Amino acid sequence: MDISLLAFAHILVAAAVCWLNFIVIDIFFRLPEAGGVVGATAIGKHIEAKGGALHGGYMMGNIVSSPDASAGTLLASCGVFIAGIPGGLLAALLVYIGNRICHDPGYAGTTGCISATFIVYGFTFLGFSPAEFIAGMVLAIATIQGISHPRASRLLSRLWEVRRG
Amino acid sequence: MSGGWIAVNDLIVGACGVLIVIGTMLTIKEADPFRKLISLGIMIGGVMPFIVDRGLLDVAIAVALIAPLSTIFTLMICRRGEP
Amino acid sequence: MTPQEAALAVCGIIAVYAAVRLAMEQDTLRKLPFLNVLSFAITGVIALILPHPLGIVAAAAYFVGSTLESNAIASTYVGGLDRRE
Repeated sequence: MDISLLAFAHILVAAAVCWLNFIVIDIFFRLPEAGGVVGATAIGKHIEAKGGALHGGYMMGNIVSSPDASAGTLLASCGVFIAGIPGGLLAALLVYIGNRICHDPGYAGTTGCISATFIVYGFTFLGFSPAEFIAGMVLAIATIQGISHPRASRLLSRLWEVRRG
Repeated sequence: MSGGWIAVNDLIVGACGVLIVIGTMLTIKEADPFRKLISLGIMIGGVMPFIVDRGLLDVAIAVALIAPLSTIFTLMICRRGEP
Repeated sequence: MTPQEAALAVCGIIAVYAAVRLAMEQDTLRKLPFLNVLSFAITGVIALILPHPLGIVAAAAYFVGSTLESNAIASTYVGGLDRRE
């Protein structure tokens, strides 16, 4: 029982690390500025109509309609779990192909994937398992997209105000 | 350790079964074609781990690529008016 | 429980949670973020349940396919298909 509680504590820490990684990279690459495709813009406007903020809604629409840094973090964790550093780099290549399929320049996804590869590999020296980072990323995306859309979009919009200055 | 593994494996099988049942019921119940397609997405998501669990990774890759393509072909006939 | 089993349990629980929230949501476009959470969880399950090198390709193919499906549904729902603004 003790070791399973340790695994769940590791999952919570990994969720915080993944959350910081993908939010920082997405906001650095200006995802909340505008919707990349028509569908992302429409999702942002519907979230705003429910009571959220517009720029946070745009970022949630962009996450839905194109693989960005969150997908890069998840697939890099899967790659490191299965095959170590080369698996993470293969995942970065696949994320880039997916970005090109979905009409996106692909900087955010590829950067997030490569940085997450090295972060996850570094945390394995502290006793973490890459499997815990997969669960942590699922938990992190559930806090953004799955719990409350108005609150999450207001939080993202506030972070975007900080980035824009 | 094997006891824990069997318990978690049962949990995953149950979760994917619940996903398939929810997806199928929603697909039957919804009236709008777009909502039907989203519900079909739930059902495909529930089917994928059963294919992977038996080691059929090539079949899984083929299904993962064919399902969105069939959705796109279906979307061509339910396009909404003029943009 | 090993870390792999704990991660698998978390992914399964979040997948069912996302499906239930998706079933209760009324607006069509606001259903899509929940579908995204569901596809994240299923991608994690695919990679965790069978660690094999082709598993990376299978997980990435499922995720990119699901994203493309969401993109096409959202773009068609509001009008033109895959047209940049």
